[in-house]
Amino acid sequence: MAVCVAVIAKENYPLYIRSVPTESELKFHYMVHTSLDVVDEKISAMGKALVDQRELYLGLLYPTEDYKVYGYVTNSKVKFVMVVDSSNTALRDNEIRSMFRKLHNSYTDVMCNPFYNPGDRIQSRAFDSMVTTMMIQVC
Amino acid sequence: MSRSAPRRTENHKINKDLFVLTYGALVAQLCKDYEKDEDVNKYLDKMGYGIGTRLIEDFLARSCVRRCHSYSEITDIIAQVAFKMYLGITPSVACRNSSRNEFSLILDKNPLVEFVEELPAGRSSLCYCNLLCGIIRGALEMVHLTADVTFLQDRLKGDSVTEIGITFLKKLEEKRYRRKK
Repeated sequence: MAVCVAVIAKENYPLYIRSVPTESELKFHYMVHTSLDVVDEKISAMGKALVDQRELYLGLLYPTEDYKVYGYVTNSKVKFVMVVDSSNTALRDNEIRSMFRKLHNSYTDVMCNPFYNPGDRIQSRAFDSMVTTMMIQVC
Repeated sequence: MSRSAPRRTENHKINKDLFVLTYGALVAQLCKDYEKDEDVNKYLDKMGYGIGTRLIEDFLARSCVRRCHSYSEITDIIAQVAFKMYLGITPSVACRNSSRNEFSLILDKNPLVEFVEELPAGRSSLCYCNLLCGIIRGALEMVHLTADVTFLQDRLKGDSVTEIGITFLKKLEEKRYRRKK
């Protein structure tokens, strides 16, 4: 179950960030912000080696004692960051991958909206409801 | 040349997403160019009119429909043959009044609005698919029938279905026929 989902633009500002309502939402925002460095590191490390085979899913970015942060980057350098609860050990890599794939598909649908300008904050109802299902249950 | 010969030997297909995105870009650009919704609707209708006057020839050549004897037959042909041929959907037809000259086409699925969730703020009276109204109006005019075609209900505005209303007006006399610009 994800506790925080963020979509970061190419220029590293958030297009969409939503977390489970708790007292310390700012903590999640800070975690997402610090994870961007790790994302950039992974992209540049992989980039030199095999540009063709660079995978979109980046895997576990860094673990803390309570949470784990996963990352995913698209070919247009839009990053998806997901923070999940560490206590939820049943969450496997495959499930995280499928959650990112769903995020990517919803993001593509948002981009196809002719009234959405790339670079704006994402305010789509369909995207919101998809993120809500990810936060309530594991997909 | 026999009337039933196919007009083109190969069927060129394009990707539906490309078409839907192109239409969306057209509407978005019109929205940027004109502030008022009525202006955008008017220009979409005008563009559709231009398309309809040309499309009718292609439709008649490809579909070989018989001569129609009533307005309800015409509306059935529009719904079952024309919409199917060009958009791949078949709206249902309903007659709206007893004198049989007002009909509506009810579309439960509209491929043009696939990626649009809702109208942007400040554009609540925009008829997103007004091009379709213009196309129907232009096509009917080229077969000497005047009609008033508008959107009665629109899913994008919150209604449950999308409904296009066609009201057939007096038949145009051939002598006095003038092409509207």
